[in-house]
Amino acid sequence: MALRAFEETVLPHLDAAFNYARWLTRSDAEAEDVVQDACVRAMRFISSFRDGDARAWFFTIVRNTWYTRAARRAGTAEAGVMDRARMDPPDEGPDPEAQLLQQHTVARVRSAIDELPPDFREVLVLREIEGMSYKEIAAVLRVPIGTVMSRLARARERLLIALKPAPMELLR
Amino acid sequence: MTCDEVFRRVDAFIDDELDADLARAIRDHVSVCRVCRRRVEEREALSRLLRSAPYYPAPSGLHARVSARAARAASMHRMLTWAAAAVLVLSLGGGVVFVRSGATRQDTIVANLVDSHVRSLMADHVFDVQSTDQHTVKPWFLGKLDFAPPVVDPAAAGFPLVGGRLDYVGGRPAAALVYERRKHIINVFVTPAETKTDASPAVESLRGFHVHHWIRNGMSFWAVSDLNDAELTEFVGLVQAAP
Repeated sequence: MALRAFEETVLPHLDAAFNYARWLTRSDAEAEDVVQDACVRAMRFISSFRDGDARAWFFTIVRNTWYTRAARRAGTAEAGVMDRARMDPPDEGPDPEAQLLQQHTVARVRSAIDELPPDFREVLVLREIEGMSYKEIAAVLRVPIGTVMSRLARARERLLIALKPAPMELLR
Repeated sequence: MTCDEVFRRVDAFIDDELDADLARAIRDHVSVCRVCRRRVEEREALSRLLRSAPYYPAPSGLHARVSARAARAASMHRMLTWAAAAVLVLSLGGGVVFVRSGATRQDTIVANLVDSHVRSLMADHVFDVQSTDQHTVKPWFLGKLDFAPPVVDPAAAGFPLVGGRLDYVGGRPAAALVYERRKHIINVFVTPAETKTDASPAVESLRGFHVHHWIRNGMSFWAVSDLNDAELTEFVGLVQAAP
């Protein structure tokens, strides 16, 4: 039945979906709204989900939900160009000095990604943070694998330029 | 392999998306070329850096809020289902059992599609979005459906796209794309297919309407029209062959 299917299919990916929505929207409040709306839709369409990649299926819904909301606001701002408060650095890690460095690095990388257009942001998040294959990303974005490849290449190129000094130095 | 060829594949290389031969060729090249090695290392470092960024933590209570909403939606859905079943039983006088085989389900879908087609013409509700531009029609469906219907426009062959609307096929939301041929309307209904296997067009006729059904790239298509079958077949060929 629908509720059980929803709980088994969607809930395990809720944290990942929130993270993805957070990267798309660049706002905690907006990300939560998107995820909640996406869940309502996922619930409605759960019977159309066949065996397969539940995460990719749910991510597609999250993405469409975000696009709908962004389009509704399109009079004032382009999809994804809405500027939001930057994320506070995370608060974990034992050694204070290492922690500070970590925070600085993560904050810097996040703000560099936030500056990228949404197409580039999401392909980086799906690949690097979600660890999806090109095929899975293509399924979420509904684009050919070749497009995933070229978009990812351009996104990395842009990010490398934005993150000067090079990430090797940042990692050290 | 040249530096240029390596450069074009460097992302696929670090993402493990190349076949073994290409990957080996790149490894060989990189072991002797400093510039390309730097490119690979730079991207690998970037990947590690991105992966070190933790998830944005979901707000506390999100799980609970989502579960509660889903439970509410489910009980509402159950209520409506029972209400619909009760109405059905009452209207049948009770005691009649409905058994639907796969074949009759297909017949029902075809009959419903022809009804939808006729209704769209009668009620003057052919369009929700009226446009001859596929780049207007396609995005219009974004967010209204949980799939993106492929939209083609064989206008050059005399079948211009004139608009689209939301409709239903077999109880599921569908995209209806509207085409015109000399004042004959062609409705193309699109839903995600239940099978991944492509199927070539099959034709059925009902009450003077032709219904072509085919499956391509995981999408199920139904073209419905009163247009003569030769022209409708030509149209279906064009839509089906589109990339």
